[in-house]
Amino acid sequence: MSAPSSGRVLHGHPSALPGVETTATVLGWLTTVDHKRIGILYGVTGFAFFLLGGLEALLIRLQLAVPHNTVVSAHAFNALFTMHGTTMIFLAIMPFNAAFFNYMVPLLIGARDVAFPRLNALSYWIFLAGGLLLNASLLAGTPPDVGWFGYANLTSKHYAPGPGVDFWILSLQILGVSSVIAAINFIVTILNMRAPGMTMMRMPVFVWMTLVVQFLIALAFPPITVGLIFLMFDRFFGTHFYDVAAGADLHLWQHLFWIFGHPEVYILVLPAFGIVSEVLPTFARKPLFGAPVVIYSGVLIGFFGFGVWSHHMFAAGMGPVADSAFSIATMLISIPTGVKIFNWLATLWGGTIRTTAAFHFAVGLVGLFTIGGLSGIMHASPPVDLQQTDSYFVVAHLHYVLIGGSLFGLFAGAYYWWPKITGRLLGERLGRLQFWVLFAGFNLAFFPQHYLGALGMPRRIYTYPADAGWTAGNFASTIGAFGIGVSVFLFMVNAWRSLRRGAPAPADPWDGRTLEWRTSSPPPAHDFDTIPPVYGRDSYWREKYGPRRGPAAGATPPSSGAAAGIHAAVHLPAPSHWPIVVALGMVLAAVGALTHVSIVLLGVLLTVWGIFRFALEHHRTTAHTDQTGVLGLDHRKMAMWVFLGSECFFFGTLVATYLAYKGRSVVGPEPHQILNIPITTLSTFDLLMSSLLMVLALAAVQRGDHRQARLWLFGTALFGLVFLGFQAYEFTEFVHRGFTLQQNLFGSTFFVLTGLHGTHVAIGVLWLLSLWVLALRGRLGVADAVKVEIAGLYWHFVDVVWIAIFTLVYLIP
Amino acid sequence: MRDEHRDGEHPTVGTYVRVALVLSVVTALEVGVIYVRQLAPIIVPLLLAMSAAKFALVALFFMHLRYDSRVLTLLFAGPLVLASGLAVALTTLTGAFLVFGR
Repeated sequence: MSAPSSGRVLHGHPSALPGVETTATVLGWLTTVDHKRIGILYGVTGFAFFLLGGLEALLIRLQLAVPHNTVVSAHAFNALFTMHGTTMIFLAIMPFNAAFFNYMVPLLIGARDVAFPRLNALSYWIFLAGGLLLNASLLAGTPPDVGWFGYANLTSKHYAPGPGVDFWILSLQILGVSSVIAAINFIVTILNMRAPGMTMMRMPVFVWMTLVVQFLIALAFPPITVGLIFLMFDRFFGTHFYDVAAGADLHLWQHLFWIFGHPEVYILVLPAFGIVSEVLPTFARKPLFGAPVVIYSGVLIGFFGFGVWSHHMFAAGMGPVADSAFSIATMLISIPTGVKIFNWLATLWGGTIRTTAAFHFAVGLVGLFTIGGLSGIMHASPPVDLQQTDSYFVVAHLHYVLIGGSLFGLFAGAYYWWPKITGRLLGERLGRLQFWVLFAGFNLAFFPQHYLGALGMPRRIYTYPADAGWTAGNFASTIGAFGIGVSVFLFMVNAWRSLRRGAPAPADPWDGRTLEWRTSSPPPAHDFDTIPPVYGRDSYWREKYGPRRGPAAGATPPSSGAAAGIHAAVHLPAPSHWPIVVALGMVLAAVGALTHVSIVLLGVLLTVWGIFRFALEHHRTTAHTDQTGVLGLDHRKMAMWVFLGSECFFFGTLVATYLAYKGRSVVGPEPHQILNIPITTLSTFDLLMSSLLMVLALAAVQRGDHRQARLWLFGTALFGLVFLGFQAYEFTEFVHRGFTLQQNLFGSTFFVLTGLHGTHVAIGVLWLLSLWVLALRGRLGVADAVKVEIAGLYWHFVDVVWIAIFTLVYLIP
Repeated sequence: MRDEHRDGEHPTVGTYVRVALVLSVVTALEVGVIYVRQLAPIIVPLLLAMSAAKFALVALFFMHLRYDSRVLTLLFAGPLVLASGLAVALTTLTGAFLVFGR
């Protein structure tokens, strides 16, 4: 075993590979890039935020326990439900899911880590920075109080003058960056790092649901990011995106929010579906009934998830055609969801069931999510929805989905995988007790809320009169909420006892079916001494239980690549402190936005410096040169394409907003009065030609022609700079003629759209110049061609986006 | 499992130059047609078609999608189509296209 600074490479016969010692120091955790440790960090941090969000929920319920209560003020109540919603969604359930993605996905697909371990660490630290920034608003005494949905124009400076909304905007932006980075990482990991023999349809359902969720994150977060950018510009720079007086449409925010918000429901709940799909077969000792159908259902849910967002807006008055379309789409999405329920039930039918704590929680999900799903179908009908909108019926529905669905599933996962993660067993009796307390408390808390809503109790009110008929239901709900609190306390006791003196867990305590049970509990740093063979679905089960259900049953044995994997040296990436530096830079810039522009500058500089050092950290490490995965594609190249797919949503939303607001300005100028088409034609030509230089640069690097590589790289960057020069000239000219960001809706949409594109170009120029400097110093060889290729992909994408902008903004009358 | 790159083809410098030439000509045409009054009735679809053609040329040749793995095409084209659909829906719902009305 050797330990060079670039990482650790383990040699020797696989069976003789020792467990790799990982330092348990604080520095070791701060610089870790091990997917298992990062998973634990997500889990522990998420749990801390979960307790905070839970405390906020208990305060909400205390206030509503009896009529005319005065536990908190109306203002504090608004802040409590805003922070509770935002915390539970972004800082608790999502990181809990991320904990399982991180810890389990590489183990389930037979990989030694994720595709980009340092990027994985970066995702975590950015997430932590965003979470801390949001909660810093509590310490600053100005928490956001506009609801987790932040409907415009409640969020405008006029109605929310304090910095609470700014904290909310900035932290959500930061959390979004973390989520999208993680999503790209896991998409590449799952597609390109599966063990030999692990075809897509042999992947465990949890991995499939993880994959679907990562696509949802990568594609659904950009629209909300754009919506938040608009809001930030409105509040910081006086633009008019959500200013009705300037001609804006407040529905725009609702659309952008729910284009993200509805897929977000599936982002939260699909991982729980995946967990249940692993837990039920294990404890029924049967394969998952109709596993391919469960997988297809998950994919369909993800796909349809993008087409139902406006059912959250039936009360907004979209018109009968739009209402009908979204109503039908919402009813359609219930079909694949219902299919899963029946598949889980059929899995249990005739099984040899072991009623473990994990099994209890999994079955609990099946029942409780069904209730949440049924009330969801009710919302698909616009006339019914109109009666339920903004009532406690909706509160009941969403909690049946997010607690009955997500949280029960997550607890199932916690009990199921705890032994694998910690090497110790949780107390089963205490676990079952926790389940029943949670089950009773949850139903007591939320079932009466259906009736409260039907009786007309609006959500988000901080108190109510004694004669409204809502007293008993609210009191019961508060008792139930404390029951949930007790159950969480029981889990903490169970976890503490397990960590202190729990029975040691064997590698395979549940007689599991999937690959994670094939390695020790907890797994060694390198996960598997040998890359596991995959014979089919439930491969480990087949491996354990004889040839009839093993390879001889028609499963394809692992390809020769497996053997290569077994005997290859194990490379483990070295710890890195650059992820935490980059995250620090980002949070510093956000803090600067709330305090002083000089701190923004400092934060941006730290971020850029950190990214440079991050990118160059392993530039000369030979172990990082070849990152070809099972699809025969380089991880980095795949990641760039996934990122560009995500960027399609980013720019698609920006362009759609420009078009939606075109002609709605209440004052001039209009586009045709001010846009300079001849000048822009020149800049367009310049950018198109830069793409030609880019491909010439790549071809030169690929054939090892250093002189031409330097020439074309510099040429591309220069053409990019010329484009930016044109843009600077255009912007300056407009400002001199009185056309600014604040002038009208056209100014707001035009400058933000073209400015964000220009920012992309500027980043590209910086990237190209960095490559050029590397080339000048003789550090850009043929082996580095893929680095130039991914920079080129980014550059060409910036080019195609401009092709669309040129036509849609400048040419179309 | 392994999705081989298509036929191991690789565009030549000549191909790149020809694509750049076509891009330049189409850009010139795009700007030219907006001044032709007779084309006014079809100007929007015409401009969109030319823009789409340029987009496709860059994606297929400069970004190598024509020669690279279909997985990459899927990773890009899927979101692109979905994003385009969402953009059309969003502009429609906000009244820009006045298809559904209010």
